[in-house]
Amino acid sequence: MHRCLSFGFTWFGWLAALVTMGAVGIFVGFLGIKGLAALNLRLFFGEASPWQVLLGTQPAVGGLWPACLGTLYLVLLSSLLAIPLGIASGIYLARYASPGPKRLFGFAVDLLAGIPSILMGLFGFALILLLRKTILPQANTGLLLSAGCLALLVLPYLILTTQTALEGLSPTLHVAGLSLGFTPWQNLVHILLPAASRGILSGVILAVGRAAEDTAVILLTGVVANAGAPQSLTDKFTALPFHIYYLAAEHRTADELAQAFGAALMLLLLTASLYALAYGLHAGIAKKWEHTPIIRP
Amino acid sequence: MGTHTDNSTLAALVDGLSVSFGPRQVLENLHLSLAKGRLHVLLGRSGAGKTTLLRAFNRLNECFPGCRTQGSLRLNLHQQWVDIYGDDLSVIELRRRVGMVFQTPNLLPTGVAKNISLPLKLVLGLGKNEIPARVEWALQQVHLWEEVRHRLAAPAATLSGGQQQRLCLARVLALEPMLLLLDEPTASLDFRASRKIEELLLTLKDRYPILAVSHSLSQARRLGDEVLVMKDGRLARTLNRRDFQDKTMLEDLLAEVF
Repeated sequence: MHRCLSFGFTWFGWLAALVTMGAVGIFVGFLGIKGLAALNLRLFFGEASPWQVLLGTQPAVGGLWPACLGTLYLVLLSSLLAIPLGIASGIYLARYASPGPKRLFGFAVDLLAGIPSILMGLFGFALILLLRKTILPQANTGLLLSAGCLALLVLPYLILTTQTALEGLSPTLHVAGLSLGFTPWQNLVHILLPAASRGILSGVILAVGRAAEDTAVILLTGVVANAGAPQSLTDKFTALPFHIYYLAAEHRTADELAQAFGAALMLLLLTASLYALAYGLHAGIAKKWEHTPIIRP
Repeated sequence: MGTHTDNSTLAALVDGLSVSFGPRQVLENLHLSLAKGRLHVLLGRSGAGKTTLLRAFNRLNECFPGCRTQGSLRLNLHQQWVDIYGDDLSVIELRRRVGMVFQTPNLLPTGVAKNISLPLKLVLGLGKNEIPARVEWALQQVHLWEEVRHRLAAPAATLSGGQQQRLCLARVLALEPMLLLLDEPTASLDFRASRKIEELLLTLKDRYPILAVSHSLSQARRLGDEVLVMKDGRLARTLNRRDFQDKTMLEDLLAEVF
């Protein structure tokens, strides 16, 4: 009976893995076939000349280019806001918070993690309304507001992964540096954070992916169809997930639907390159940390 | 302590030391002294407070929640007596001068040489020119240099258990401590590796006063110039080499401690 159960469970495990891999494979393959067919210069730059667009002398009307830039800016900006804040909060929770504040703060983080993204969008929208009525009459939705709301949305991933990674380190590692006379700061920067960097990286990747794909937040905080590439932080913008949604919902020709697939493939590629960037940064840090100066005997 | 006529041969003086964690009293009113050039072995069953006493010397108990320390613990730093729980010496400074080796090798998850060079850089602030020579010196002190000189950049975790523990010792020696604390340094090692560490300690005791925790009576006999027997957070006996020759006394001790 026991052997039967164990055998069954092993096969179930294999099956689950195969189904997952199969689903991902079919998804990427489908998107690849549909998207690659639509991928050409016209998809990116519309009727405009690519060089003119890249030099900024001509807008890319009807092309994907502004949406690619919009998403890139959005992700970089929200990462810039959320990553330092999230990692710092995670460090505080794991290393410095006393039990009372820790429980309260932990509850707040859990709550934040449970908030649907459309509510985060509504919050940003309401914030702008409030600002307009009070101290900033010219305030409007735009890139910065969207990035801020996205940062708030991805913050819990960063906090929780940093906290878990630090708390998962062995207690002997915690006292190793301290017993040698490291200051708490040196201990954190030179021993604990590098040792927890892999866990923190997974939080960064989750956050980047979430910021790149979210549509609900930006819908209420500054995205508009057919906006050009944003020139400043307060500009209206367009982004790939919104562009996909817009094309898929409103398409009138088969060509426009094909463009949506092209945009979807672009979004996948953009996210993948951001992941690669995060991995590259991490590998660089890890190498620097593990590197030992060569001593010639 | 005015009662001591000549304090200059002593390395540490403990007076009325009590340590508790929350409601649990671990050490109670301890008085003892450590002499220079001698190897002191702390003996006692587990839970007797050996490790806590050891960690009182580098204030590492404070890294654990609910710790409260009373009494005085003074160290002889270059013929100057300093109360380590007073304001004269910061915790960071203290820990740099009092080296500790743990029960299991707790190496930093990086390369062999970097385990020594990182503390040298961060704690002593040594420059790139001085570090390699000091790393080599420290590795030679623990007879590890010949074994690792060709793989200094290899991850420290690839060394054997005994080598790892000797690397931990080298890391501490590189910082030139005034006192060595060893928490059952051979507990995780096999017989051969244990003997190697023991031989090493016997050669080191002339330069560094050593306080080592052990749970083995035979090891205490091999190593100790002085054996401090602990029981229930108190110092039950202090024995010196002469006492070890006395068989009945040893039997009494065995019955009392284990």
